[in-house]
Amino acid sequence: MALTTAPDPTRRGPGSVRPRANRRGPGRSRHGDGLAGYVFLSPWLIGLMAVTAIPMLLSLYLSFTNYDILTPWSEVEWVGLANYERMFTADPSWWHSVRVTLTFALVAVPLKLAAALGVALLLNRAWRGVGVFRGLFYLPSLLGGSVALAIVWVNMFNRDGAVNSFLALFGVTGKPWVNDPDWALETLMVLAIWQFGAPMVIFLAGLKQVPTELYEAAAVDGAGRWRQFVNVTLPMLSPVIFFNLVLETINGFQGFTAAFVLSNGTGGPVDSTLMYTLNLYITGFTDLEMGYASAMAWVFLVAVAVITVIFFSTGRFWVHYSDGEDR
Amino acid sequence: MHPATPPTASAPAGRTYRTPLPRRRLLRGLLAVAVAAPLIAGAAACGGDDPATDPNAPVKLSVFWWGGEARAKLTEEALALYTKKHPNVTFEKTWQANQGYFDKLATLTAGGNPPDLFQIDDNFLAEYAARNTTLDLTPYQSSGKLDTSKFPKSLWQYGVVDGKLAGLAAGENTQGLVYNKSLLAKHGLPEPTTGMSWEEHIAWAERVARTAKVPGTQDPSADYKAFWVWLRQQGKDMYSGSELGFTAEDVTRWFELWKGARDRGATPTPDVIHEGNVTDISKQLVVTGKAATSWVWVNQMPELKKNTKDELGVVAYPGDPSAQWARASMYWSVFRGSKHRDVAVDVINFLMNDPEAVKLLGTDRGLPSNQDLRRVVSDDTTDPAMKQSIAVEAELAQKFGESPQVPIKGHSKVRSELVKAAENAQYGRANPAEAAAQFVAACKSAIA
Repeated sequence: MALTTAPDPTRRGPGSVRPRANRRGPGRSRHGDGLAGYVFLSPWLIGLMAVTAIPMLLSLYLSFTNYDILTPWSEVEWVGLANYERMFTADPSWWHSVRVTLTFALVAVPLKLAAALGVALLLNRAWRGVGVFRGLFYLPSLLGGSVALAIVWVNMFNRDGAVNSFLALFGVTGKPWVNDPDWALETLMVLAIWQFGAPMVIFLAGLKQVPTELYEAAAVDGAGRWRQFVNVTLPMLSPVIFFNLVLETINGFQGFTAAFVLSNGTGGPVDSTLMYTLNLYITGFTDLEMGYASAMAWVFLVAVAVITVIFFSTGRFWVHYSDGEDR
Repeated sequence: MHPATPPTASAPAGRTYRTPLPRRRLLRGLLAVAVAAPLIAGAAACGGDDPATDPNAPVKLSVFWWGGEARAKLTEEALALYTKKHPNVTFEKTWQANQGYFDKLATLTAGGNPPDLFQIDDNFLAEYAARNTTLDLTPYQSSGKLDTSKFPKSLWQYGVVDGKLAGLAAGENTQGLVYNKSLLAKHGLPEPTTGMSWEEHIAWAERVARTAKVPGTQDPSADYKAFWVWLRQQGKDMYSGSELGFTAEDVTRWFELWKGARDRGATPTPDVIHEGNVTDISKQLVVTGKAATSWVWVNQMPELKKNTKDELGVVAYPGDPSAQWARASMYWSVFRGSKHRDVAVDVINFLMNDPEAVKLLGTDRGLPSNQDLRRVVSDDTTDPAMKQSIAVEAELAQKFGESPQVPIKGHSKVRSELVKAAENAQYGRANPAEAAAQFVAACKSAIA
């Protein structure tokens, strides 16, 4: 990435060749720059290798073994595809965690995006104090996947938590939300949806990019607000919607912290919050089946990649890039 | 950005492979490190005994345990005492709450950097022993370097896995049914007694619920230690060799017993039961006022008392108390690959048998394993909750039955599966027979 931003005297481009780069003269060879690039990259590159690439490759290897954390590597046994076979054919709790995660993502992601877009539309006006509101709506997502927030959530959605006290004002008897297997996952969804600040800010930026002429033209043609929204805003915003959709879906699949805190690391009550990543964690670190957990991680990686590819391939049909004509 | 002069600006031009090469070399180097590190760790784990080195050479021993601040303070004081007597030995102390402790211990072990000396309990002892992570303490025991002569035999034996002494009991405890004394007195209700049958206990709990409007008892059907005591009273056991010591019918009866109790209103609602199932000791229902009794270990009394103003009492679990046993509340184990294993063993011996150290540690990890010193500590203690737990344990010690075998590999999974199955029955998502069948099937694959 950083490499491409380095001034490269051999490449022609409008304004990209700065006089200073020229002054160095032709003696500066192309690969000299390349090497410098790598030197500058090295902190990132070493980080990538040590923290991401090598562990990933090792986990791929481990996924074909019976590694259990405690046994030294020299005694680890190669088990071929047994871990993968077990996952698909003999592990009901794996299928259960897949169902829980899909349910979570399918409900929480669209609602979160809808909330983000809705609030962004409201805040995309020149009201007095609109900045304050933007800040306030963004605040929850600053708290992100924090443990503190999840603890607050658990206490709010307890049998005698704030939510039920509020409901009691209207004579409604609440549920023990987080401790009820029928509602625990829904409570997590609400938490995820509430944190719509990040996509909201991106939507806001996208809305500001829509040329006002288009609205004016639409208004002249007699389009009402709804028509303007459907025929101008949505198409113009589609790249941003696409971006948010991909990002939030991946996020949704990776939900871990809140489920971990809410269930004390068990995925309970009765596995109702056993998200995929939580199941993976329990398998690896509590049950000590790290080889199997590695296989689960790789299936997860492939699944997320496939879903992303599907998004990208369907994107052609509904994502409009306004600068597409002059390409 | 300032166009910095690259440090390699003098590199000869014209060699196009110049940049890829260091990268490949770098990759290879990193890969070598990543592969070698665990190998080296593995090799270290297979190393021989301590060389007969200078006994006064400085030694830094890493120690890892779980527990609260009180335990940390006591343990640090006891270790400081050891350093005072052996100035060449210092300690690198790490401690944390129980939740996440075993994740951390496993990760440290995997990283080839496990503590020399660590605390472990019977949920994981067999897991670690089966993989040869723990040092066999038997040679030290027979040479007298680790003195267990004052220990009850059944207590140190509860640390033997596959014929090896994998851990030494850091204290003794047993199951205890803790009840809210103040609540019962306020409503003129009788206190539970040791030896009550399970039926009597449930009937009593129902009466408490009716009179005091507080559920009489936490539903322990998800609690492996209550299930275990009950099984032993039925002539069964948790494990028998490498198999389960019970059948699906036994579990069904256990679940049905508690379904009956729930139907009679003797227990809290399923969501509150669930709270009790998953929270730690400081939020047990007897402390939060959501039930009149909780199922705990006797040595946890002082910790419970800290979290409530009410007076608490403790008796044995219902049924014949001979089903209970002198359980090692937790163990001290030595990492097999430790470079200072002799010193580590000596520290265990010190913590268990030195009068001053034992006095310092008190009953925080359970009753002292050394029976002579146990007497001294119980005479000296001033904490009423601790006094109470000592009294109950001393009374029960007369009635204890034989220790069961140490839980086998897969036990922690069995525990979490029991919670899952019991809660399925509690929430009414399965009937007792279905939940029992689900549990037994899950257990079989967990210990396979």
